[in-house]
Amino acid sequence: MRSPIAIADCHGHLGVHPDFPAYKASPEEMISVMDHLNIEMLAITSTLACYNDCPRGNAEVDPVLRQYPERFLGYITVNPNPPGQGVAELQKWSHFHSPPLIKMHPGLHKYPVHGKHYLPIWEYAHDTDAVVLVHTWDSDPNCGPLLFPAIARAHPHARILLGHSGVTWRGYMQAIEAAESADNLYLDLSGSQNHRLILEHCVERLGAERILFGSDLPFLEASMTIGRVLTAHISDTAKEQILRNNFLRLVKKT
Amino acid sequence: MVLSEPLFAEAAAWNLFDVNVRLGSSGIHGELALDTEGLLSEMDRFFIRRALVSHWESEEYDAELGNEALARDRHPRMTPVWGILPDLQSVAALARREPVAVRITPGSAQHNFSLATWSAGELFDYLQQHAVITLIAISDIGWSGLATLLENFPRLPVVLLDTGYRADRYLFPLLERFPLLHFDSATYLAHRQLEAFVESHGAGQLLFGTRLPLFTPAASLGVFATARISDDARLAIAGGNLQRLLASTHFGGEL
Repeated sequence: MRSPIAIADCHGHLGVHPDFPAYKASPEEMISVMDHLNIEMLAITSTLACYNDCPRGNAEVDPVLRQYPERFLGYITVNPNPPGQGVAELQKWSHFHSPPLIKMHPGLHKYPVHGKHYLPIWEYAHDTDAVVLVHTWDSDPNCGPLLFPAIARAHPHARILLGHSGVTWRGYMQAIEAAESADNLYLDLSGSQNHRLILEHCVERLGAERILFGSDLPFLEASMTIGRVLTAHISDTAKEQILRNNFLRLVKKT
Repeated sequence: MVLSEPLFAEAAAWNLFDVNVRLGSSGIHGELALDTEGLLSEMDRFFIRRALVSHWESEEYDAELGNEALARDRHPRMTPVWGILPDLQSVAALARREPVAVRITPGSAQHNFSLATWSAGELFDYLQQHAVITLIAISDIGWSGLATLLENFPRLPVVLLDTGYRADRYLFPLLERFPLLHFDSATYLAHRQLEAFVESHGAGQLLFGTRLPLFTPAASLGVFATARISDDARLAIAGGNLQRLLASTHFGGEL
């Protein structure tokens, strides 16, 4: 199996976590797999930054973007702890991409996405038309999908990707409900729970324009989500939008 | 560009035998549940020739009523996986079915029994004696419970289901210690995890599974089809390993 269309992947990482099995995770090994599956480009966020240290993590992304500019796009990962660090990181690494790609992980950073320490980051995202990928999880008090409509409406120029779309069946339903109420909310398909019919529900209720392919590579296996999309009961046009066109449109690489 | 051509056509040559499938209506999973016709249709879409199939009713309600529904509804391409309770009367009823596979759901919200020998010793004695393939999800037994079961019944062919992708530090020591422990691929979904496992442990203890009807087979089949492994390893995981286990059961010989 190989995707017949070159994929633009909105959700990837650089680096591993010692307690999360990640095999063949160097940039070169990831590119080998991307070539194998026909993933043309992957937007990456630092794993170190998601778990522990944003300044060091973002610094690890920088040289990889310079070495492989055609294969990787870089998210600037921000942490609301301590307050003020996030905007400083956004300014420091603003050369990663324009418009900015921002990654938030309220689950690991254990701070609610609607908390006041995130507010300056949301304002920055609004002011710069940023694409913001946020980890979400079913009903999570820090990052449940239903927390996002109010944020999206308050910052309408930010394009907010609901990472993993809430993960579970119920989480997906929450993500769909959230996206129905704010046009700048998007669904990211990365995740380990591969329910039948869920993608069909997403397309039926939202259309295909706000659904993005994400792999979570090199944590999760990209081929499972490629298989989900390509075998879903949706149109070929929708598959092309999801696998490639929608993310390219957001990052202005059409 | 036409995207709707069969994506997994190469799988037609692999004789796929799915170890992780459930049949019938579900009180929990509503619209995802499939009847016999629906299940066969999904199997055909993904070139799955045969499946080990249990019935939701056995798991969610009454084991024996579910077994009756399974006996009534199953298709010849579906090898029955019976529900079972630990009491002697249930074990005797199971024996009359000449089982090749059972699925154990002992959780407090399901059949609510202990897997310890003082509770289920006779059941496991029977299953081990007849080499009945014993399916159990990790969420239903836990790692310590699994280790104890394998220590008490080392000749019992256990297939661990829904292992997940973050359990290698638990899984690998048990696989190395208990050669009759196998696990299914339905949730073994970390990046390149399947091919890395084959490189480090060989293909002998891994069985193809999908978790139909909850999950789309496209996920685990996507992982399996794109794993950079040998043809021999692929055929073993696809169905060869499960065929070998079935042939070893007292009532088996389904090669």
